[in-house]
Amino acid sequence: MALVLLLAGCGPLGLRRQPAPPGALGAENREQPALSGDGRLLASLVERGGRSTVLLQDRRSGQVLPLPHLRDHQPHSAPSLSWTGRYLALLIQQGPHRQAVLQDRASGRLLPLMLPAGREPQRLSLAADGRRIAIELLDDGQRRVELFDLSGLLEPDLAPGLRQSGGGEVLP
Amino acid sequence: MSIARGMVLQRRRGAALLLAVLSPTLLLTGCLGDQLRPLPGLNQRLSQLGNGHDPALSGRWLALIAGQQGRQQVQLIDLERGLPVPLIGLNRPDSQPLSVAVDLSGERLVVVRQREDRTELVLHRRTLMATERLPIEPAGVPRQISLSADGRLLAVEVSRGGIWQVDLLELP
Repeated sequence: MALVLLLAGCGPLGLRRQPAPPGALGAENREQPALSGDGRLLASLVERGGRSTVLLQDRRSGQVLPLPHLRDHQPHSAPSLSWTGRYLALLIQQGPHRQAVLQDRASGRLLPLMLPAGREPQRLSLAADGRRIAIELLDDGQRRVELFDLSGLLEPDLAPGLRQSGGGEVLP
Repeated sequence: MSIARGMVLQRRRGAALLLAVLSPTLLLTGCLGDQLRPLPGLNQRLSQLGNGHDPALSGRWLALIAGQQGRQQVQLIDLERGLPVPLIGLNRPDSQPLSVAVDLSGERLVVVRQREDRTELVLHRRTLMATERLPIEPAGVPRQISLSADGRLLAVEVSRGGIWQVDLLELP
C-alpha cells in the first residue's frame, strides 16, 4: 500500500492514487465501481457464494454498510449512487429477469423501477439528486438509453447548500 | 312517493353506470403509477443519436456512447436545452469509446477507449478542449469508471493479471 501511495504523488499530471478500501475477504475480484456524488461512498461488485453481490463501503474507513433488502436477489449489477449515497440504484435478479430497483437507505424501502414490457435493463445511472435515472435498455436486440423521471417518487438527495431546481423535463 | 322512489333508482343506476365506465380507467391509472415515467422529448432526441449505451448522468448533463454501428462516439447532452454540446478534440476516428463519466459541471469527462491495440483512460476538459491520457500504474486494462460530482475523484475498474480491481485516483 505504501508503495502505491509513493508512486501516486509522482504522476506526470499530478495524479494521486488512493488504495480502494479492502473488501471483507481480502484480495478478490471487484467490478463496476460507483462513487456517491460527494465521493464518500463506493459501491462495487464482489463475489459472495459464487454470485455477484453489491458491496457498499465508506471510502475512507472501509466500513461496509448493510444492505439487507438486497440479500437473496443476486446476481447484482450496475450499481449507481445518489449524492450522499442515500439512494442506490442497481439491477437484481427477479426470477428469469433482471429488475431495476432503487434502495432508499434512509427508509429501508426497496422500490422496483417498472419498465415498459419487453425492455431489459442493462446499465443504470442515477442523477446525484435522485430526480432522474438513465437506463441502458436492450429492446429488440438494440441497445439504447432512455431517461426517466423520479421526481414524483423520491425526496431529492441534494448537496448541502444546493438550491432547489425543477425536476422533470425542460426543453426549448 | 313512487315518483321519488323512481328517481332514487335512476340515480343509483346512473352511479353504477359511471363506476362501470370509470373502473378500468382507475385500474389503469394505478398500473401507470407504478411504472417509471419516461421523458419523451429527451428520449426522442436520444433515439436520433442512434444506438446508445453506457449512460452517465450528472446534474443537467448526460454523457453516453452513441451512434450508428461502427461509428460510435462520446456524446454529451445538455438536458436543460435537450441538445448535444460539442466535444472538440475528444472523439477520434481511430478510437472506439467503451465507457464515459462526467462531472456535475459538465466540464470534465473521463473516457475509456480502445485505440489501435490498447485500451486507454483519458481526461477531457471541455472548455479547454484538451484531452490527456491518465496513466494506469501498475499497468492494467481499464473498463468501467465512476466520477465524483466535483470531478476530482475517479474510480476505475482495472484488470490486472486476470483479477478485476478498483483504483481510486484523485485528479488534479
